[in-house]
Amino acid sequence: MTATETPASATARRAGGRRRAGAGGRPPRGRRLRYALTVAAFLLPSLVPLTLYTLIPMAGSLWVSLHEWNLITPMRWVGLDNYADLLGDPGTRAAFLHTLAFIAGYLPLVYAGGLGLAMLLNRAMPGRALLRGIYFLPVITSWVVVALMWKWLLNPASGLVNWALGLVGIDGPGWWTDPAWAMPSIVLASAWKDLGFVMIILLAGLQAVPKEFHEAARVDGASAWQRFRHVTLPLLSPSTFFVVVISLINGFQVFDQVHVMTGGGPGGATQVVVEQVYTFTFQYQKAGAASALSWLLFAVVLLVTLVQVRAQRRWVTYA
Amino acid sequence: MNKTILALAVLATALATTTACSQGSATKAPAADGGKVTLRYFTFSAAPDHVKDLDKIVAAFEKENPKIDVVVETAPFDQYFTKLQTSIAGGTAPDAFELNYENFVTYAASGSLLDLGAVGGDSDVSAYAPESLNAFKHGGKQYALPASFSTVVLFYNKDLFDKAGVEPPTADWTWADEQAAAEKLTDRKAGIYGDFQPVQFFEFYKALKQAGGEFLSPDGKKTAFNSPAGIKAAKWLVGKVGKTMPTEAEIGGTADYDTNLFKSGKLAMWHNGIWQFAGLKDVPFEWDVVVEPGDATKASAVFHNAVAASSATKLAKEAYAWARFLSSSKVAATTRIESSWELPPVSDQSVLAGYLKDPKPANRQAVFDSLKSIALPPVIQRQQEMQDAVTEELANAAAGRKPVEEALKDAAARVDELLA
Amino acid sequence: MRRILGLAVVAAGALVMLFPFAWAVITSLTPGGAVLATPPDFTPEGAGLDAYRRLLEAVPFWRILFNSLWIGIVSTLLQLATSAMAAYAFARLPFPGRGALFAVYLATLMVPLQVLIVPLFIEMRMFNLVDTYFAVLAPTIASAFGVFLLRQAIAQVPKEFDEAAVLDGAGHFRIFAFIVLPLIRPALATFAVFGFMASWNSYLWPLVIIRSPEFMTLPLGLAELHGRFTTEWNVVMAGSVVSVVPILVLYLFAQKHVIASVAQTGLK
Repeated sequence: MTATETPASATARRAGGRRRAGAGGRPPRGRRLRYALTVAAFLLPSLVPLTLYTLIPMAGSLWVSLHEWNLITPMRWVGLDNYADLLGDPGTRAAFLHTLAFIAGYLPLVYAGGLGLAMLLNRAMPGRALLRGIYFLPVITSWVVVALMWKWLLNPASGLVNWALGLVGIDGPGWWTDPAWAMPSIVLASAWKDLGFVMIILLAGLQAVPKEFHEAARVDGASAWQRFRHVTLPLLSPSTFFVVVISLINGFQVFDQVHVMTGGGPGGATQVVVEQVYTFTFQYQKAGAASALSWLLFAVVLLVTLVQVRAQRRWVTYA
Repeated sequence: MNKTILALAVLATALATTTACSQGSATKAPAADGGKVTLRYFTFSAAPDHVKDLDKIVAAFEKENPKIDVVVETAPFDQYFTKLQTSIAGGTAPDAFELNYENFVTYAASGSLLDLGAVGGDSDVSAYAPESLNAFKHGGKQYALPASFSTVVLFYNKDLFDKAGVEPPTADWTWADEQAAAEKLTDRKAGIYGDFQPVQFFEFYKALKQAGGEFLSPDGKKTAFNSPAGIKAAKWLVGKVGKTMPTEAEIGGTADYDTNLFKSGKLAMWHNGIWQFAGLKDVPFEWDVVVEPGDATKASAVFHNAVAASSATKLAKEAYAWARFLSSSKVAATTRIESSWELPPVSDQSVLAGYLKDPKPANRQAVFDSLKSIALPPVIQRQQEMQDAVTEELANAAAGRKPVEEALKDAAARVDELLA
Repeated sequence: MRRILGLAVVAAGALVMLFPFAWAVITSLTPGGAVLATPPDFTPEGAGLDAYRRLLEAVPFWRILFNSLWIGIVSTLLQLATSAMAAYAFARLPFPGRGALFAVYLATLMVPLQVLIVPLFIEMRMFNLVDTYFAVLAPTIASAFGVFLLRQAIAQVPKEFDEAAVLDGAGHFRIFAFIVLPLIRPALATFAVFGFMASWNSYLWPLVIIRSPEFMTLPLGLAELHGRFTTEWNVVMAGSVVSVVPILVLYLFAQKHVIASVAQTGLK
């Protein structure tokens, strides 16, 4: 996509394209057809299943969002009523605010932690493979187990965390039993669980950074911080872009951890958008409202993602 | 190395093709050879512990009805309705399926259930306990047949009562007796609590009834629980928290906290269901049960499950025969009793007598005594929303976020909105 | 000195990371009554493999393990193939509307699964695919996540490599298979782990689309261990421990593979 490329690489590609097309002028028709077929051949294996098994159901849910439907009786057309109801409902606003609060806490934490880990574990050190495996363990452990564990760690009365805080004379908060602390508790557990995810993506990115770059910078007398700031970070920017975009998309749809840790409580303090969607669809038999809410969420996530895609040319460096 | 990748791609395609092709046979319903039909039955109460017991009942049914092949599908209760709704929405509803009392009305009112009374005609229904049978009527029609029930009783740890020198509970106890005993039994320093009764919808509607109140107005169009009796019931539940019962923070979301507390001998009285009997077989202390104490009157909670048939089924007669067999046959009833798989809602006392033979708990009779004055949960079309609203407001009161009166007022307003 | 400090920090952190998993293992070895004691009892009395034995009895364990592995492997291979190809097109083959199409790919990640389940189920029923392996697999064949991840990886490969090949007369399929794929092996290995995980842990969709026990997958089997009123936590934990193992093995394998490939190509 042209929007995502740096001016330099776009120029290079145009030059390459000209070279392919031969000496000047438009490429001949046969070539163009063959090129089109090549593009199709690369895209169709994913585009066909994506259309069948995701895009069509998406269209289906858009259709459902215009109806009142309890899933067991035939649906009833209500036009945009579901959207109007949701927009007028303070519960919707609260759900979006809670979701944003989650992202605001989660994203910086998980990115900084994941980057630090990736940098540390990219160096040669004894037992590195084992350590990477250990840090990846929470990513693959089910949320049911992780949530039980964190609820115990953050147990206000007998949890390890408040016990440790007590040792240094701090009276620990009520964590997830206290409306003010419930979201921070979920953020903490989520960031802890996803550190390994960010780590392995950034590690793959770090491994793609040619060693020569570092060496050249070292020869030029750059300090460790300067090398990190001016060599590693720019070269890692495509991976960072990926992590940020995906974490935001996933963050807006935060559900599992909320569902198993607080179920939206206490007193609705952690009611996030997808928790609401889930409850609407399968517990309250309001499939229409659930779909409408999902499409409102979609609009927000799409907007945020497009802004990032636009903004990336300012900071993402592709080779 | 690149060949590996290509080879993998080829392999993947090949695997996908075989997977797709091998489906042909699996999608078809099992062959209906020799005039045999396949009846799909969907249940939440069999897995994980009673799959074999259900198999036994199925085998007996198929022996009596050689032309019917019953195929059982199971799902855990948490996800059961997700799956049931999706299959109804997709037009692939099972022929027969299990419904609990609380969800029954939603399905009956939506027209997705078959009128079993019409299918069964004038067949004799005297085998059923009448209260149970009536619970599954809607608009005068029998949309489901009761298959099993459980009741809630008061469990108590005899050893703790003896140690504290408190007389153990009797069937005549009232709230006041329970509270007095709970206060004497609670020893927070030793981590011993006198009482445990969850603060939620199901306990509230029952306590309300015990206090002499009603949840809904007689016409069912408005709430009636924001009343002196309602406030009394809510205060009864909320008042235990932090006094004779641990607070939410102390429980700290520990899974099965109360079960483990009772099993470890640190809980004197426990409001819970008879499904706990099996798990308490080997505890190292003496325990027993009584009918729950009442206030203005006695009232015990009953959880009912029933078998319904889909209005879309092509096998109405077969579905009816199966529902009938599963709910009232002697094989089904004895299998349930022998495996402690809830209780069969049958009227034949000699079948139930088998239940009393089991030595533990000694006062098994309390289970039947509790049936003399039962409190069925209020049921509306937007059931789950109502349950959640009431539970959430009570939790607000229990955590001290709202006074009880205000929480109850807010709960009533929220439920009234659902009824509108 | 700083190196030692770094190692110390990482090792201490590793203990924190290991804790929940260790706790799950210990709980799975603890006999019924003492399970979920607070605080956890790290030296339970009468520890044993009972829970694992129960697990084998309670669910048709080997069958569902086979199903999950089979579906996971096929799904992973397909995802790798379809995603890498699309990623190449998005990174290297300019065509009109490419940006928009990529946005459509990304957009498929933005609608919660919960509301897609019912329309997808209805569609599967029209295809007569309810209760089949293929239906479980179908939504995982294409992965927008994978396309995005691999596109970023390909975009990091210096263009000089493929431009040189173009001059040699190589077509796009050859450049893709012989130049680009080997260079993005770390990303491919990473995505293999995530692709497998997505299929392996998938719960809601298999739950509604599968009804025959013979097609049941591991998460469905483990969910059946939760009763309506009571749960045998040691068995649940045993199930969780068992379900982590294949992904861990795949991950360690992928890690080794990545390091080896980087050393081998000598390009980095």
